[in-house]
Amino acid sequence: MPWLLRRTLDAVLMTLLGVAVLFVLVRAMPGDPLTAILGERSVDPATTVALRARFGLDTPLPTALAAFLRDAVRGDLGLSIATQRPVTALLGERLGPTLLLGALTLLVNFGVGVALGLWGALHPTTRRARLLSTVTVVGYALPTFVVGVLLVWLGAVHLGWFPAGGLADPLLAADADTVTVLRDRLRHLALPLATMVLATIAVPLAQQRSAALETARAPWVRAARARGVAPARVAWRHVWRPALSPVITLLGLWLPMLVGGAVFVEAVFAWPGVGSLLATATAQRDLPVVIGGGALIIALVQAGGLLTDCAHRATDPRRRRDP
Amino acid sequence: MARSPRLALAALMLLAGPLAAQRGTLVMALPAEPMLPVPVLGSTSASDADVADQMFLRLAGLGASGRLAGDDAMVPELAASWRRRDATTIDFLLDPRARWHDGVPVTARDVAFTWSLMREPVLGMTQAPLEPIANVIALDARTVRVTFRRRFTEQVYLAGFSLQPLPEHLLRDIPPAQLTRGDFVRAPVGNGPFRFERRVPGQFIELRADPAHFRGRPGLARLVLRVANDPAARVNLFLAGETDVLPDLPPPVIAEVAKRPQLRTVSVTSGTVSYILLNTRQASDTARANPILSDVRVREALALALDRRTITTSVWGPTASVPEVVQSQHWAWVTGGLRAVGQDAARARRLLEAAGWRDADGDGIREQNGRPLRLTMILPGTSATRRAAAVQAERMWRTVGVEVVLEVVEQADYLARRASGRWDLEIAGANQSPSPSSVVQSWSCASAAQPGSSNVARFCDPTFDRLVQAADTAANPVAAYGAAFARLASVRPAIGLVAPTNTVGVHARFANVVIRPVNAWTDLWRWTVRPDQLLPRDR
Repeated sequence: MPWLLRRTLDAVLMTLLGVAVLFVLVRAMPGDPLTAILGERSVDPATTVALRARFGLDTPLPTALAAFLRDAVRGDLGLSIATQRPVTALLGERLGPTLLLGALTLLVNFGVGVALGLWGALHPTTRRARLLSTVTVVGYALPTFVVGVLLVWLGAVHLGWFPAGGLADPLLAADADTVTVLRDRLRHLALPLATMVLATIAVPLAQQRSAALETARAPWVRAARARGVAPARVAWRHVWRPALSPVITLLGLWLPMLVGGAVFVEAVFAWPGVGSLLATATAQRDLPVVIGGGALIIALVQAGGLLTDCAHRATDPRRRRDP
Repeated sequence: MARSPRLALAALMLLAGPLAAQRGTLVMALPAEPMLPVPVLGSTSASDADVADQMFLRLAGLGASGRLAGDDAMVPELAASWRRRDATTIDFLLDPRARWHDGVPVTARDVAFTWSLMREPVLGMTQAPLEPIANVIALDARTVRVTFRRRFTEQVYLAGFSLQPLPEHLLRDIPPAQLTRGDFVRAPVGNGPFRFERRVPGQFIELRADPAHFRGRPGLARLVLRVANDPAARVNLFLAGETDVLPDLPPPVIAEVAKRPQLRTVSVTSGTVSYILLNTRQASDTARANPILSDVRVREALALALDRRTITTSVWGPTASVPEVVQSQHWAWVTGGLRAVGQDAARARRLLEAAGWRDADGDGIREQNGRPLRLTMILPGTSATRRAAAVQAERMWRTVGVEVVLEVVEQADYLARRASGRWDLEIAGANQSPSPSSVVQSWSCASAAQPGSSNVARFCDPTFDRLVQAADTAANPVAAYGAAFARLASVRPAIGLVAPTNTVGVHARFANVVIRPVNAWTDLWRWTVRPDQLLPRDR
């Protein structure tokens, strides 16, 4: 069986197994799922029975799991208890803003971060490299929500340069031109993106720097320099490409962050993403949303692993010999 | 003849006056996305209710006095008037000008239809408050007859305020369990001063004024209700000028608002109250009495050991008041005579001694027959204020020889634990109905016996029940309810902690600002923007 097909089948099976385990664990969580609609309100037993039947909470676990997996394969993740809307529709509405923020964060982290890491490795003893290293470590040490709160206070409340929250200005005219809409989106993106990047860029930067430092000392790099190969070509071809492997692994691990990794940032900036949806659903015990969102993250973890393996095989010829 | 054009111009200007006045946009941040902003069909989310109140009128609204007893206590909304037929029957006459936003007249059939939905178990409405209503029927297109099971002084309030009609012509063919999934809840058709305009999922709902509304043209052109789950995010949006109102300002934010000339604060009485609930039933077996807390002397000692003023001031700020038992500011008109007892540690110790709890082994914790005076308090992990109050209370109780173990649990688990009765103490919070008669829902013997009721401590005192029942029909409800609450305080099922005032931040450009103690935003349609202070978003 070809490697790619076998690896994809593995990922699908692992996803199904992960979702099944998640389903059982979530159903076993303490707390009543009717909290999602009742809160602290008390209702009589007849109403409780009717509501349990309405939301399928009286179905035995094995039957419920089988029904969920059957429907999930068809793309139906059930109905949210709190909102009475299909979970897929809720996730769909929130996925766009989350992917926008997450993808831009990854782009900046793995574009600027990797470039800076490589530059730091090639100039390890300069003052600027040490300063860069210090700044990124401090950024990494600060919790995301602290960075977010500081930035929103300074950039929005105090200086008024950027909006304090939201994905877009709700007062923007529905027929606003593209440039105005784009400018508005960018203004709203500025602070959450800066927060995400400041809090996380240290990781790919340090990974790349450390890997590139190691390859910069490799014999083939010394040989290339001795042959008089141009420094830029040495950096690009002889140092960076062999040092990519750990960064690719890191990128694969971070793909799920696209969906669930920005809970605090979404809260601080009222960003309408999947993270805040899942946090609210967990607190409310809106089980279908928790399970649906969890299933999406599990699928992304598996997809990240699969893509990482593919990228490794594409960039490292030695990996292609692996069975 | 020469005056005619001028007269015409003057007439035009008079007509244009109201048109020009209907400018203004109010932006508010809600703590949750209003997914079901429809009466009866909505969840417990306050956001749903706040949005629904802009689009759907009740039969009758609360008057400025806040009084609920008597047939003249309420003010007309959908019902233009009401007349009493006998001690248990009232006819409400709908305003003939009332229309749904699709132009169809609001009829008595809509009200009767809504009542039938309210009784549907599958929609999950709490039935206990509606129990006194026997039936709601349409006598003709305009007349709604409400029959009550018994005589009591708040009949008009109960029926008029609870009945918030839905359009029968749009919903009658949909099975009740399907109502929350249809198009109606996504784009509701109401009868209120604002109509649904658009929703951007996860971000905001926009409502537009109904310029032809039968109660008068709203003073604002539109409402934009944004979503910001995080309290800090809502504060930032308000201070940054992106929203116009923010309720429940904490003390540090009040100070920030005071520094900004474009903002001001409005104080409103609140129905919120927090108290330490004392479980008189055994945590492991709720059918049996709590071996420690079933003794009223111990409960009183726990209250006397606390310096509640200090706790409340340090956690909720200096403006918050301390209730003696469970009464919010809404009920101050009947509980005004009750004063919270101050700290008296010496008396607390004497009461514990008298109850047989002594520190025989000198470890600082009292015992009785070798059993330590140890209690468990459950707290939701989401509430920093409750935790701060609990930590202070725990220290104060220790000084009189009572050990209290604080158990912080996750919110949903906390709700399950509190409903099951597996706890000794807890800091409970309630948002009380304006009617003091609703006290029976959490503190009567009937509610103690009813599974799933909000009387989670299973508190039962027949004397208190009799007093409340008497107050329900009393000619002088103030004195009668006063006596009932005095009884409640004496048997000490709870220790009042805080009955806060709702401090609301408002942008200073708004005039005619009315914020209600109950259903705060029902008068938003009366707000206007001062013409000389219009912001770009108002034009």
